[in-house]
Amino acid sequence: MPLQDSEKALNNLRTDLSSLLQKPTRVFNLQDHPFEQLGESLHQPGDDVVILAATVDPGSALWSSLDLIRSALERKGPIIFWLSADCVPSLSEHAPNIRSFIGGGIFAAGPDGGMMTEEDRQSRLQQLAEHYQLTNDEIVSRALSGTLPSEPHFIEWLVLLGRGDLV
Amino acid sequence: MALSQSLPGGQVQRRDKFRKYMRAFNPTARAQDVIEAGLVFEDLHRSVYLNLAGRADLEPGSQQLLVGGIGSGKTTELVLASRWLREQGNVLPLYIDITSETDLSGLNSGSLLASFGIHLAIRLLESPGLPKDSADRLNALYGKIKEYAYGKVESVWVSYDDEDSGQEYDDRDDYDDAPRGHYTTRTIPGKLQPPLPALLRDVRGIREPLERLLTAAREVHKDIVVIFDGLDRLLAADKFSAVAYQDFRLFRSLDVSVLAAAPISILYGAGRSISEQFDRVQHLAVIAGGHGRGFLQSVLSKRGGYELLSPTEADSICEYSGGVLRDLISLARDAAEEAYVSGHASITPSDVDKVVRQLGTSYLRGLGPTAVQTLRDLEKSKSFQVDMPTNIELLVTRRVLEYTSTDFRVHPALLSVLSKTKG
Repeated sequence: MPLQDSEKALNNLRTDLSSLLQKPTRVFNLQDHPFEQLGESLHQPGDDVVILAATVDPGSALWSSLDLIRSALERKGPIIFWLSADCVPSLSEHAPNIRSFIGGGIFAAGPDGGMMTEEDRQSRLQQLAEHYQLTNDEIVSRALSGTLPSEPHFIEWLVLLGRGDLV
Repeated sequence: MALSQSLPGGQVQRRDKFRKYMRAFNPTARAQDVIEAGLVFEDLHRSVYLNLAGRADLEPGSQQLLVGGIGSGKTTELVLASRWLREQGNVLPLYIDITSETDLSGLNSGSLLASFGIHLAIRLLESPGLPKDSADRLNALYGKIKEYAYGKVESVWVSYDDEDSGQEYDDRDDYDDAPRGHYTTRTIPGKLQPPLPALLRDVRGIREPLERLLTAAREVHKDIVVIFDGLDRLLAADKFSAVAYQDFRLFRSLDVSVLAAAPISILYGAGRSISEQFDRVQHLAVIAGGHGRGFLQSVLSKRGGYELLSPTEADSICEYSGGVLRDLISLARDAAEEAYVSGHASITPSDVDKVVRQLGTSYLRGLGPTAVQTLRDLEKSKSFQVDMPTNIELLVTRRVLEYTSTDFRVHPALLSVLSKTKG
């Protein structure tokens, strides 16, 4: 997607992650952040959410070095890589240990700024409604009255309804 | 009353069941933690760790490599070997994950020795009831090794008579017999300096303190075995050799047995000449189907996988993992996550299909047309020129899996996606 859309999508992702996981989210640009400080930065603190971003391929040397310090990337909080498409071949080739850790968790963000189409969103809302036997209005009502538990599914529900402000 | 407790169908119980399963299937968990939790099926690789540990115990100074692809279970085998050696009672095993000690990209000769010296000194200093004079000697040796490992800052006298000092001598100074100069500090870098590039240094500098440390260690422990994990991250065989060659020579002369993880590139092409320098190169091959598949299902069973997996879905996950242990654990975990968010009570065929497709797609991403053609040719004709650098890369990145020295196959998850793309 265009760079401007990517930045907007990244900001949206950061907001959504903070809401869903109830933790602050930090973003590190792999091209700008001094590599020698990265290991230390990831552990101060070590339990929040970190996004490692690259809008262009930072190069084989950085990927190799990142792969070598994979142990330093291990932390309590999650790490999400936000990468342009041209980074993926480099990551696979020069950081295969990290790629192995990622496994099947590589997803493509669409140009609409999110991974979910409107059809997906409605389908998911329907799933949640059927599962919990509640309507969207009831969820919003409980959130407004402060009686909605802060469990991941309910937070997700509010975000899908565009009511992340009630989280 | 909490909303979740008022819901029908035991929602809380369902979540707890899935959470328990997910805790057991963490592909990035530390091997030590997984072993301690009793989740490891120790006979998976026919107890390779016993052979490695046994030889290290019987032949002081022997050097063995454990070679396997990414996610094959090397760390688990090395940790099990360490545990077995410790249980024998007369051997001191030192397990060192060198990647957590230093930045490997700056690794060069002497770094492995420095790390070994640090670990040995700390272990000896922790011995209960250590006499004071022994502790003093060990601390002195520890200090020398630390300087070698981490560098030091020393004071250096710079005379005012030195033209480079830039200092001027005042003729009217009353203290004519005072030293004409000043002290300054100079930093001497050590071997374990992440992430600055390390200087090439002679390993002889550490020999003497290590010999004395080993003499002290052997008064208590009959033999010392060092187990280096993480060197397999040096994906190219020549990089592995540049780091390990001199250090391993000194370990042999010191009669310290060595077990080390090594990259799979050691087995092929130019890497073969490096592997010939070792007493044993143990290959941790991918687990094949047939009899091997029973082993993979034992891995799932040991972690409680059948709480959510039917035998059919377990078979499917085993098949599409290709026998790569980390992929097996990842698929089992991801399938459970998919089942949970989809509202299923257990893992269904559609859950497995989706995560297999995701894994296959992740392997497909970044592959160029030439590589894709190589994979199609391999599938069609079973022909694979293993010594070609581009093909070694396919092995390293796990697109191609090695079941024996002549049996190479495309990763099944990747194959399932490839077959759906144009070719």
